[in-house]
Amino acid sequence: MLAPRQPEPSRRPLVPVGLAVVSAAAGIGLLVQRAVRKPRDPKLAAAQAFGAGAAVLCFSVALDSAIEHYRGSFKDRLMFAGPTMATLGLATTAWIAFRPQDARKTLPRVALGAVGLTGLVGLGFHAYNILKRPGELSALNIFYAAPFGAPAALTLAGLYGVIAGEMLSDREYVRTRLPRHAAALIGFSLLGTVAEAGILHFRGAFQDPFMYAPVTVPPLAAVAIGAAALSPRAAEVAEPLLKATALLGIAGPMFHAYGIHRNMGGWSNWSQMILQGPPLPAPPAFLGISIAGLGLLPLLEKQPE
Amino acid sequence: MRCYDDNDEVDFAIVGTGAGGGTLACKLAESGFSVVAFDAGPFWRPLDDCASDERYQSGLFWTDERITGGADPVELGSNNSGRGVGGSTVHYTMIALRWRPEWFKCKSTLGYGRDWPISFEELEPYYEEAEEALKIAGPLKYPWGRRRRRYPYREHPVNSAGLVLARGCEAIGVKWSPLPLATLSAPRGMAHPCVYRGFCAYGCSTNAKQSVLVTFIPRALKAGAEVRDLAMVGRIEMGKDGKASGLLYHRQGKWRRQKARHVVVAGYAIETPRLLLNSECREFPDGLCNENGLVGTHIMIHSGPGVWGYMDEEVRQYRAPPCMAVTEHWNYDDSGKDFHGGYAFMSQGPLAVGWAQDTAVQRKMWGMKLREEMTRYNHVAGLRIVGETEPQRHNRIELADEKDQYGLAIPRMTFGYSENDRKLMKHSIGSMKSVLEGAGAKELWVDDDTSHLMGGCRMGGDPSESVVNKDGRSWSISNLWVCDGSLFPTSGGVNPSLTIQANALRIGDRIKDMAARGEL
Amino acid sequence: MSEFRTPYPDYNVLDKWDSPSWNAQTRAVVDTRLNQVPQRRFLTTEQWSLLQAICNRLIPQPDREEDPVPIVPWIDDMLHENHGPGYRYADMPPMRDAWRQGLDAIAAEAHNRHGKLFEALSPEKQDALLIDVQENRVDRRYWGELPAGGFFLHHLLKDVVGIYYSHPAAWSEIGYGGPAGPRGYARIGFDEHDPWEAKEVDPADA
Repeated sequence: MLAPRQPEPSRRPLVPVGLAVVSAAAGIGLLVQRAVRKPRDPKLAAAQAFGAGAAVLCFSVALDSAIEHYRGSFKDRLMFAGPTMATLGLATTAWIAFRPQDARKTLPRVALGAVGLTGLVGLGFHAYNILKRPGELSALNIFYAAPFGAPAALTLAGLYGVIAGEMLSDREYVRTRLPRHAAALIGFSLLGTVAEAGILHFRGAFQDPFMYAPVTVPPLAAVAIGAAALSPRAAEVAEPLLKATALLGIAGPMFHAYGIHRNMGGWSNWSQMILQGPPLPAPPAFLGISIAGLGLLPLLEKQPE
Repeated sequence: MRCYDDNDEVDFAIVGTGAGGGTLACKLAESGFSVVAFDAGPFWRPLDDCASDERYQSGLFWTDERITGGADPVELGSNNSGRGVGGSTVHYTMIALRWRPEWFKCKSTLGYGRDWPISFEELEPYYEEAEEALKIAGPLKYPWGRRRRRYPYREHPVNSAGLVLARGCEAIGVKWSPLPLATLSAPRGMAHPCVYRGFCAYGCSTNAKQSVLVTFIPRALKAGAEVRDLAMVGRIEMGKDGKASGLLYHRQGKWRRQKARHVVVAGYAIETPRLLLNSECREFPDGLCNENGLVGTHIMIHSGPGVWGYMDEEVRQYRAPPCMAVTEHWNYDDSGKDFHGGYAFMSQGPLAVGWAQDTAVQRKMWGMKLREEMTRYNHVAGLRIVGETEPQRHNRIELADEKDQYGLAIPRMTFGYSENDRKLMKHSIGSMKSVLEGAGAKELWVDDDTSHLMGGCRMGGDPSESVVNKDGRSWSISNLWVCDGSLFPTSGGVNPSLTIQANALRIGDRIKDMAARGEL
Repeated sequence: MSEFRTPYPDYNVLDKWDSPSWNAQTRAVVDTRLNQVPQRRFLTTEQWSLLQAICNRLIPQPDREEDPVPIVPWIDDMLHENHGPGYRYADMPPMRDAWRQGLDAIAAEAHNRHGKLFEALSPEKQDALLIDVQENRVDRRYWGELPAGGFFLHHLLKDVVGIYYSHPAAWSEIGYGGPAGPRGYARIGFDEHDPWEAKEVDPADA
């Protein structure tokens, strides 16, 4: 009598794994927070935060675009620009994060301008990649063609880096209006990232309940920081939400690593799964944006109503 | 797994565990009935058993001898006949399409064929139930058919072979769609999502394919059913009261008898009529359910001419499921047709051995010419239809004089196309050529094939014109049922599996209702 | 006889033997196919020798004179095991009878037309005879009820081709990905392939 031995579609321990990942991410986040030395001067601190946030964004884009463009076999030679410029951006913004006082120098500003411009050009290429396929602007192509919004992360990184430099200036615009505008930009950045994650998690049918996290928590953070742009008192609400979003940025790659494990062959099939599985370097975009947002809050709180 | 003794009179003994039998076994077990489901083949374990090899995987197919004849003899075996728990859903290409609603009443609404005793509306909730159970990966908007709920999982990316169909359809102004497929586009429980391996027709070793083996069967087992594999059912035993009393089956070298209150035959369009005919006895000398002589008659297939061509680009069509894109334009748009019925066509992706054999046999190519032609394999793309054929009485399954290794008379299938069938095929070749030319394919050629099997025990509303009623219940033997593709009175223009499964779910519900009302 | 040239000269499917593209079951199956070529158990020596000559015409292997892909042993094995496709056409006898009768009929045709064994004929004459069999231009005395064209296409050619293209050497020459499990294909679009797939060499560059 042959007894059935094959594993039927039954259950994996999604909830315990998810809780473990979130705890681990929280632990890492707390450790990093403790280790970082923030400058006393709130303007310098904000500049550092924007620099660090931009660096995390550049890191995410550099790895993600390298992997995805490798998947695309670098068919178009210009695809090398994505990871290359993101690496340049990473070097520049890391410099700013360590020495925020240098953020106003010309060299980093020019580099970041080029990085930001590359992002815009990338948007154009990605749009073309979607529209040239059969079906054009169809769900199929939005799911599987070049991800439309991904290059925008590079543009944002460039902008954050430039803002870091602006924070140090004494201009009236910087004292009165830049923090609010930067808050709106943070909100917009979060919503864009939510859309990217949302589309791909929707493509994955939200088969793991934790996939709802990036489309529930960050939108709330976006609303909160957007409100903080208008009313500084909202900054109080924004802080825990931004921290939770930052947490997702750390937990994301761990969740995605579990996702790769869940696919056929798991990590031993990495040559396939790094490409097919959930993208490891994508979630830290949430971390980068939140770092910048958190660094902005002290400035926002000091704004007049 | 719960095991019943042969002498336990189980509520339902089901012969066959494919799209019909396996699905029904689940529904009945979950409704609280005791169920033993028999299958002539083995209980496969996809992750353990499947090799990536066409020739070796022939174990998935029905390879006992059968005879095929008629004016247009149909290729059997790996073409359309599975053997094993899960039946043909273990080797099918996972296409999960609903019928055009009007087809259920094709005679009254479209003027041809024969009305089914059920309507689309009656089957609609079961289509949904089946799609949900199989986590069909389908597009957000499917261009044809009624408004419907979103497919449970999102569509797969379309491979280059599918994009050839897409490009071609767009070039000639006809809609196309990614195919809804019964294979996972995201993880589900322990099952992995598809890795686009392409061996779908030879067993899914990824365990992404949502065959009956990995969906309804585990649920059935969990609800207390027993699946008895490597058990060839030879006869349905009849009691003195004119009702079925159980099954005679061969397992582990011996003939055995299982008692049952009800018997369901779900062996698909060849084995179901064969078993009913082989169960002839004194009370039923022409076989069971055969007073009107209809058992085995009105057998249908889907015609499958194909058109192929060479692309300048590399296609490497064998990657990913063989069929990833479809157009059902000619199922829903009847303008300009000089025939009744419809056809859909899908992109294709045959593997090396299958492609080589088709090239050699269909194009009569061998020698160095064949070896050289085969080196162009990576540039080939093609389309093939699922074409409706008419139910004709003389297309049938009968018993041959020969006996198989169990001493049972083997089946003989006789099939020939009608004039209407041929006109449909001719029209479809023209459509496929236009699409391939629109996609830029060159050096086009035509080949031929068939797919699927339907009919042989058609259901109906009139006992003189059908083998079973609309619930698959025999008109003359109240505890004998049929639940598989042999129930189909007409063939439609899409793959039958989803309709077979939806119908099985419906019949399961009907049985549950009847039991509650004491009508069983 | 022309030399055979493949667009994939540097590609060998067996290079992926230890990669995630092959699993243990597949390795076992292909290992048997490569290293456990069976002996003659069903065909007579004459039928075996005739079939070998026929295979040399159906699938010539001038590029593999030392180590051709074996075909006849596997047909003999199939007939010995009586492992058929699961059906036969109504006008054909059962598989084993069809093969015996068909091979003997071809031998008889050769003897009748040329007074020699098929194996002793020139390649052109062998091809001509095979085409006649394919087109049913045969002497009914030798074939009886067996349809010559049906035997040629649905048994002889189909099985010979099927066995040849089940061999890794054939997969390599056509640039076929071959076994693909657990690792499937990451790239499935036009003009793209995974690094473990065959690279097409343009004959102009070769």
